[in-house]
Amino acid sequence: MIETEQRISIGCGIETVWEYVEDIRNWASLMPGSQSCAVLNRDDSRWTLKVGAGGLVKTVIVAVHVEQWNAPAGVIFSYALQGEPVVGRGSYSAARTSAHETEVTLKLRVEGSGPMSRLWEAMSTPLLPQLAKSFAERLKLEIEDAARAAPPPAASGGRRSVLGSLGRWLLIRWRAIIRSGLQQ
Amino acid sequence: MIRNLPARWDLEADVVAIGSGIGGLSAAITAHQHGSRALVLERTAELGGVTALSLGELWVAGNHHALAAGIEDSPDAGYRYLKRLSMDYGEDTAILNNVLHARVALQYFEEKIGLKTRVIPHCPDYYFGITTDAVAQGRLLEVLPFPAQTLGDWRAHTRVSPLVPYALTHEDIFEKGGVANMRNWDFDLMAERLQKDERCLGAGLAAYFVKGALDRGIGLHTGINAQELICDGSRVVGVRATRDANDVFVRAHRGVVLAVSSYERNAGYNKSLGQQLDLGSMVFPSIDGANFRLAGPVGARVARVPDITSLGFCVPGEETPDGEPLWRSALQPIGLPHTIVVNGMGRRFGNEAFYRSILYAVDIIDGGTQTHPNFPCWTIFDGQAREKYPFGSVMPGQDLPAGFGVRADSIVELAQRIGVDARALTDTVSAFNSHCAKSEDPEFHRGSHPWSAWMCGDPGNEPHPNLGPLLRPPFYAVQLHRIGGSAIPAAGVVSDHHARAVGWDDKPIEGLYVAGNSAARLETGACMQSGVSNARGMTHGYLAGRHASGRPSDLLQKERGRFGL
Repeated sequence: MIETEQRISIGCGIETVWEYVEDIRNWASLMPGSQSCAVLNRDDSRWTLKVGAGGLVKTVIVAVHVEQWNAPAGVIFSYALQGEPVVGRGSYSAARTSAHETEVTLKLRVEGSGPMSRLWEAMSTPLLPQLAKSFAERLKLEIEDAARAAPPPAASGGRRSVLGSLGRWLLIRWRAIIRSGLQQ
Repeated sequence: MIRNLPARWDLEADVVAIGSGIGGLSAAITAHQHGSRALVLERTAELGGVTALSLGELWVAGNHHALAAGIEDSPDAGYRYLKRLSMDYGEDTAILNNVLHARVALQYFEEKIGLKTRVIPHCPDYYFGITTDAVAQGRLLEVLPFPAQTLGDWRAHTRVSPLVPYALTHEDIFEKGGVANMRNWDFDLMAERLQKDERCLGAGLAAYFVKGALDRGIGLHTGINAQELICDGSRVVGVRATRDANDVFVRAHRGVVLAVSSYERNAGYNKSLGQQLDLGSMVFPSIDGANFRLAGPVGARVARVPDITSLGFCVPGEETPDGEPLWRSALQPIGLPHTIVVNGMGRRFGNEAFYRSILYAVDIIDGGTQTHPNFPCWTIFDGQAREKYPFGSVMPGQDLPAGFGVRADSIVELAQRIGVDARALTDTVSAFNSHCAKSEDPEFHRGSHPWSAWMCGDPGNEPHPNLGPLLRPPFYAVQLHRIGGSAIPAAGVVSDHHARAVGWDDKPIEGLYVAGNSAARLETGACMQSGVSNARGMTHGYLAGRHASGRPSDLLQKERGRFGL
């Protein structure tokens, strides 16, 4: 079993972070090599990823199951690679540092199964921390960028607040479209 | 000779090596050590060339490690070995020159750049048992793990292989039973090496030479593509290259070394020079015959030796970073117990455990029908093989991925599904199973080479590491495709004993050198022996670097009389 942990500080309030995190497709899109994400229901999704290591790029399909949604502070999930003897678990934990600062902790675990389990774990040893780090950095970037594009009205004034309101409206509309797609 | 001097020079050195595999880097390092300024031009974004993709073996007859270990060997025996196996398609002087200098070059690089090698235990010459000049072990060397962290920023730009487990050495792999017994490997050690980025095999070998160049401040220029040689009317004096679509004129006061590997990714060259059709390839796209395109206009001569077409397969879902299918060699898995290869008539056609044997048969033409009787072909294996052994990246016990191969509950059903005669395939399997029971293969002598057992076999399989019957369903068939030989080519540019390119008038082309797989294989003729290609690159680079720096080796002149040459 291989485990890794990444901590990041995101310059947004915990609710804003949760707005992003509660959509599983956002998670999939942040994965290195993300190709697509098929949402089966609120808790289950299938992610198609192209994972690169040592000059080899392998397409893997990951079945992700969210075991607990604990808004806005946590998500616990498990996953399995289809056709490969690899399973794993992970968690997302968020803690309010201030009104505009959230500390996020990501934990990820890989377990090989079957006679070659140790091979899979050996190969995951250098990959998993890289993957988690990349994910965490992109998560921070995406959420902070989205927040910058749509600052809260109270924080702005005049012409800027009009643009901010427009950005926020677009963001809300975008999320509504995403969610309606999810329900289909 | 042409005269195409540019109006300006953008880069300048005494020796310019084109290509950053072991040939180009050896030349640059040797030239530097002999007082020349050297630089390296690499077309891709990564250093290390095909060397980094290889198993990293170096075949060096009479090397000091073997002698220190008490192994009886000599350059003389190595020369006789290659001469016998070249079947006179090579040139005796070239064979001797290579054998004599390989051991010198090995010691040179160990001393100068800290290259660390050791004998691969129990790894025999291919033809041990066939000729008395072969050895049971000692000539095949590998590097000790290289700490890639020491490459600094170049670490991420130094190539590794997607096809070989470069975190383990041969010794690590084979003391645990080889590839067949992958499940016994020390995966904790693998994880530790991957974590520390300690590189073995070809990735490690290439990294040692990259480090050697970096330590000397040799300019390593990536993403620069040599387009043509520049001549002053009497000699080669530079290179016109392009970077980001802009010309870069590189002056070489003393010489240009062509070390760009071969032409495996050029379908036209494969067909016309190698007589090979529709090849898959395990090497990257830049191996496209630049040696011929560069050396041709200055009159370099080309020579060809008898060669084989390899067999391989692609596992669905695997690709290269360029988005192309990732080809894997069938060399090792087809020699495992419970596994055979059959043609479209359902018949075996060679010794599957010795690729040099079976692969000569792949492209045989039946002149009576103008067909290739042995192509297409399939590897057939049973549930025992699937349970115990990896097949490429498909691990023991794992189902073949969807779309990969055919699975059936009987040999008859399998034959029907792949379109071969069911009766013939049943008879073939039955005959093979009978051979296995007797631990002999009277048809194709499978398992008769000790190397076959070492590389392809399962040492724990009784009664023979390469012979195990196909008995237990399900049965599997995977169609094999033609692939290239990891850039080891049939044809190359002819060179002399200082690695100078030679023209059609048999005279050296002043200022032009050729190394490794860019050079015609006149040191091997009809033979190939694992470890020879890396050793050729290292040796050619050493010779070229010395000669271009005005310090040519006189070893051949001193020794050739002793061999009647």
